[in-house]
Amino acid sequence: MTREQIAETADFIARYLSYMLGAGVHTSRVVRNSKRLGNALGVDVAIHTSQKTAMLTVSDKDSNVLNTRVVDIPSFPISFEWNADLSALSWAAHDRKMTLEEVRREFDTLVSKPGMNPVFVLFMVSLANASFCRLFGGDIWAMLVTFTATMIGFFTRQHLTKKKVNHYIVFIVSAFVASICASTSLSLGIPTAEIALATSVLYLVPGVPLINGLIDITDGHIQTGISRIVNAFMLIVCIAIGLSITLILVKNSLL
Amino acid sequence: MKEIFWNTIASYNAATWPWQLAFIAAAAVLTLLLWFRPRRWVRIAAKLYMVIISLWIAFVYYLKFASAREHSEVLAIFWCMMALAWIYDLVTNFSSFSRSGKASYWGLIVLVLPLAYPFISISRGFVFPGITMPVLPSAVALYMLGMLMTFNEKINFFAYIFILHWSIIAISKITLFDIPEDILLAVSSIPAMVIFFTRSLKSMSGKFKPSDKTVTVLISAVAVLLAGSLLAG
Repeated sequence: MTREQIAETADFIARYLSYMLGAGVHTSRVVRNSKRLGNALGVDVAIHTSQKTAMLTVSDKDSNVLNTRVVDIPSFPISFEWNADLSALSWAAHDRKMTLEEVRREFDTLVSKPGMNPVFVLFMVSLANASFCRLFGGDIWAMLVTFTATMIGFFTRQHLTKKKVNHYIVFIVSAFVASICASTSLSLGIPTAEIALATSVLYLVPGVPLINGLIDITDGHIQTGISRIVNAFMLIVCIAIGLSITLILVKNSLL
Repeated sequence: MKEIFWNTIASYNAATWPWQLAFIAAAAVLTLLLWFRPRRWVRIAAKLYMVIISLWIAFVYYLKFASAREHSEVLAIFWCMMALAWIYDLVTNFSSFSRSGKASYWGLIVLVLPLAYPFISISRGFVFPGITMPVLPSAVALYMLGMLMTFNEKINFFAYIFILHWSIIAISKITLFDIPEDILLAVSSIPAMVIFFTRSLKSMSGKFKPSDKTVTVLISAVAVLLAGSLLAG
């Protein structure tokens, strides 16, 4: 393998792993897939990851030529589809002995698939939150209020994210907007109004970073795991701030 | 609770009816100007009107006259947020307040519905000042919805979702406070959800998945679900 080929392979694997990490895949899976992909392309891969960047060294098995890359991890929306597709790609490269060019073409096809429709996501998230409300014992009015309160909160989140507002601020504002809207149910005197208020912010809970953080720690990627958990914790604090503002304004006794 | 509700409406109407007439007159003038002579200053004035009437409901109706009701301050905050949605629209020029498509004509019908509120109350045997008027929260929300439907080229989605939320609150009042007039808001806001969101899908022109058709089916199913839930509730 020539130096140029090794450099090209390193470039591609760096891109591959940054996309996987950016889409919210846990670290051990990214490392495993990248190494498998490297193996299929005839190189050894050693990887170091952190919260914002990743470093990898690609070495030719025969010539001992090394090539190192440090890449920024882009922040994509969490995508289970990329997770599954890119993992499958590493297996396909391994099983079908694909060339670098073929793998790259396939990768480009997978990552350029259309994203989820924001209106679809808005409705599904609102329905999911209304269902949570029901699971926690909310009645039909609480569910309806949770549905529309979530819709307002999530729409605010989508809008502010599009405007590239700091995501901690986005979380605080979205939690406040959703909970203040849900708190309007208190005026109706319905018995489960407090359930509507509590469940209106559940759509913001950062489940994926929390799970990934724990998986990373149990897999030995403690540094990355802790960073992910701290990041998730910060978002939970933001949700708490947003909800607390509402509680201070409308229901001081709950605090 | 029901008695306090109707007493607050009566005291509000008795004290503010001249102001309410002024609001109705201003709304009529702005609507006609937007329909026949849509200029930039008219659009700005219409948005300013939305801000002022939202703040009026928040401060005058909820904080002054309805303060005897439990959690009236929550509803005042909600209407302040409605005002904020219109201020944001005013500053960013988010909506165009221009006519587009057949929904404009449906919007005209919705625009006159708030005027039906006092007549429905009177037909139920109520007498002034203990009747619903066009400058009560649900009637104002209905007027805003009518404006969004009539001048729907590019709408203020924040305001619309607030109105949708208010229609859920309003519909629950039908049984709780014996105010069937509010059915008008729910009946108008749910079809509006289908109209507004399917229009926004068209503007995305197939860049996303699932397909527009699938999302339209989902929106329609949610609209049916909401209507069914409201009937069941």
